[in-house]
Amino acid sequence: MPKKTRSKALLICGLFLLAAVALLTLSCNRARAAGGNDARMIVLGIDGMDPQLLDQFMQQGKMPNFARLAAEGSYRKLTTSIPPQSPVAWSNLITGMNAGGHGIFDFIHRDPKTLEPYFSTSRVEGPKHSFDVGSWVIPLGGSSAEQLRKGDAFWQILDRHGIPNTIFRIPANFPPVAAKGETLSGMGTPDLRGTYGTFSFYTDDPSASAEAVEGGQILPVEVQNGRVTANLIGPDNSFRKGSPPSREPFTVDIDPLEPVAKISVEGQEFILREGEWSKWIPVEFQLIPFFGNVKGMCRFYFKEAHPRFQLYVSPMNIDPSDPALPISTPSSYSRLLTDEAGEFHTQGIAEDTKALSDGVLDDKEYLEQARTVLAEHRRIFDAEFPKFKEGLFFFYFSSLDLNSHMFWRLMDPKHPGYDATLAAANGDAIESFYEQIDQVLGEVLPKLDSRTTLLVLSDHGFAPYYRSFNLNTWLLNNGYIKFKADADLTNQAPFVNVDWNQTRAYGMGLNGLYINMRGREKSGIVDPGAADALLHEIRTKLLAIRDPKNQLPVITRADLASEAYQGPYSRSGPDMLVGYNRGYRAGWKTILGGFPQDELEDNTNAWSGDHCMDYTLVPGVLLSNRKIASDAPALTDIAPTILAEFGISKTKGMIGTSVFSSGER
Amino acid sequence: MFGSHKVKIEGDLLDKAKKCAEAGGYESVDEFITHVVEKEVSKVLLPSEGGTTSKELIKKRLQGLGYIE
Repeated sequence: MPKKTRSKALLICGLFLLAAVALLTLSCNRARAAGGNDARMIVLGIDGMDPQLLDQFMQQGKMPNFARLAAEGSYRKLTTSIPPQSPVAWSNLITGMNAGGHGIFDFIHRDPKTLEPYFSTSRVEGPKHSFDVGSWVIPLGGSSAEQLRKGDAFWQILDRHGIPNTIFRIPANFPPVAAKGETLSGMGTPDLRGTYGTFSFYTDDPSASAEAVEGGQILPVEVQNGRVTANLIGPDNSFRKGSPPSREPFTVDIDPLEPVAKISVEGQEFILREGEWSKWIPVEFQLIPFFGNVKGMCRFYFKEAHPRFQLYVSPMNIDPSDPALPISTPSSYSRLLTDEAGEFHTQGIAEDTKALSDGVLDDKEYLEQARTVLAEHRRIFDAEFPKFKEGLFFFYFSSLDLNSHMFWRLMDPKHPGYDATLAAANGDAIESFYEQIDQVLGEVLPKLDSRTTLLVLSDHGFAPYYRSFNLNTWLLNNGYIKFKADADLTNQAPFVNVDWNQTRAYGMGLNGLYINMRGREKSGIVDPGAADALLHEIRTKLLAIRDPKNQLPVITRADLASEAYQGPYSRSGPDMLVGYNRGYRAGWKTILGGFPQDELEDNTNAWSGDHCMDYTLVPGVLLSNRKIASDAPALTDIAPTILAEFGISKTKGMIGTSVFSSGER
Repeated sequence: MFGSHKVKIEGDLLDKAKKCAEAGGYESVDEFITHVVEKEVSKVLLPSEGGTTSKELIKKRLQGLGYIE
């Protein structure tokens, strides 16, 4: 070949080679963008972040990192679940299915054969003498736990494709499903007593009535020669006669002059001043000699030394360094987190909202506890996030949700619980928690690169909770529930007076309405063939209800399960989902089957914001550093989005599609 | 109507039951075993059949969620 021709051929070959390299690079970039195994993804799950509040705080310049992400990336409202409750919403996100597919319809489910309620996402069995959970052997008197959510979690699918992942405190994952990655359970994790949080309050104040509070226990004590002797309360001990709670003694020596005390527990001694919190104190409950003990931990708050003794003790949390129930995968992960970032709340809903509602803690005291929860999460985030190199990193924050529940009343003068003095002191509580979440985002943004996708999302938004609607009272007044002829109206136990042989429908849970169906409920009387007509009749009447106080509709939508759900469990939940207007929610007593006298009442509880309403009125948020193609993304799109980022097709039953894809659903 | 029935327990299980009865503060191994059977019966049977209702216990457990009273 002549030299000139050979040079020309080499040039052409070189050009081809360059073109091939360019094409390869382009296709690699496309693979990264559209889903390849070198992709990385960060998901921040911010429970209860509300688009209206986010917009307001961004406009006020209080959330610069969110404003930057919204401006440079994408920001959408995120359609929440039906109903918009956290266990349902996070299950939608986890599985890519709605409640018909994952079987979680409400915080509260009922057994149709007994009408007894239970927490929807997990079942904690009463104490047994011993049992195994996987490789766990729980000692005598412990409790068993069963995960009730159906369907694969997205991280289990990632596991099958070899994608590394870390999932921190995602709700509706207790006990954690089997996983290869590092997961820690969140909302739904009980305390050591098997409840969702039971505090103890020790006082010598005779006006504090014993056991008259909800979500806690008031324990009367005597101060004798400056000393209080009392017991910490642990799990029920089924090997003792009558299965009494296990107890561990402690003493408090109060300084006669100063507001200071020394507390002694199991050989540990520490000093607290009035108004001071202890660190986490490990406690070991001896259930039966030689057979086994259970370890927990709690925090003490010394509320008052003189003239009245007042000591708050937090719910007894499962000790993450030596957990009595499975709370992480691998089981050593919770201990590793403790080593890296110190002890932390393991109870699913860590903020002690009941202590504030009951008046045991005041706003300032509760806020200190709630800030500790967020500080613990941020410590763990700061320990874990720098280690993230590949795959998926999911981190959950509870603070906006719980504190929007508790402090809405202080930022909304229209709220029945608004108090100008209290508002002056802590009216910015919600805002300050939003600002802290913005700081977390500020740590993430500099770490993003071309192969990393960020999603920041919430499961639902928020709204004021001004007025309660007592659904069961309304059903009674409208003839759908009948009381027994010999009903004892002084007995307020759930459904105790109901004549099930004449009752056609009942309410249970925060949004659920059930038909008393023949063949399903224990004393069902409505033929399945007549159920739809009855549901339509009730729906028409519910949508027509107006609040006599302001003429506003109380209920703005009511979805039939047959219309709202797809999947094998569509008919195992409520038959109708009651969607309350903004400002309204199911009343406190009606949720478990109580019958307050009035259909509508003001809500003066400290729990003053809520989201268990018409799902279209409380959307969540979705932000990303990439362009979101979907105009109306939904929670059920998130699992398919995560899978698509790693080049994995969505699985059977998933009803959403990647938010980055413009393809049809 | 209120008849009695003897159940034979022997060997290792009896030894373990005796240890549990002693450690749990029961006056006899019979009392301990009756207690265990009562507990299991109340869990299996519906309230209408003689089982005990756990509504209050369930309510107590759920109250910590914050959403209910």
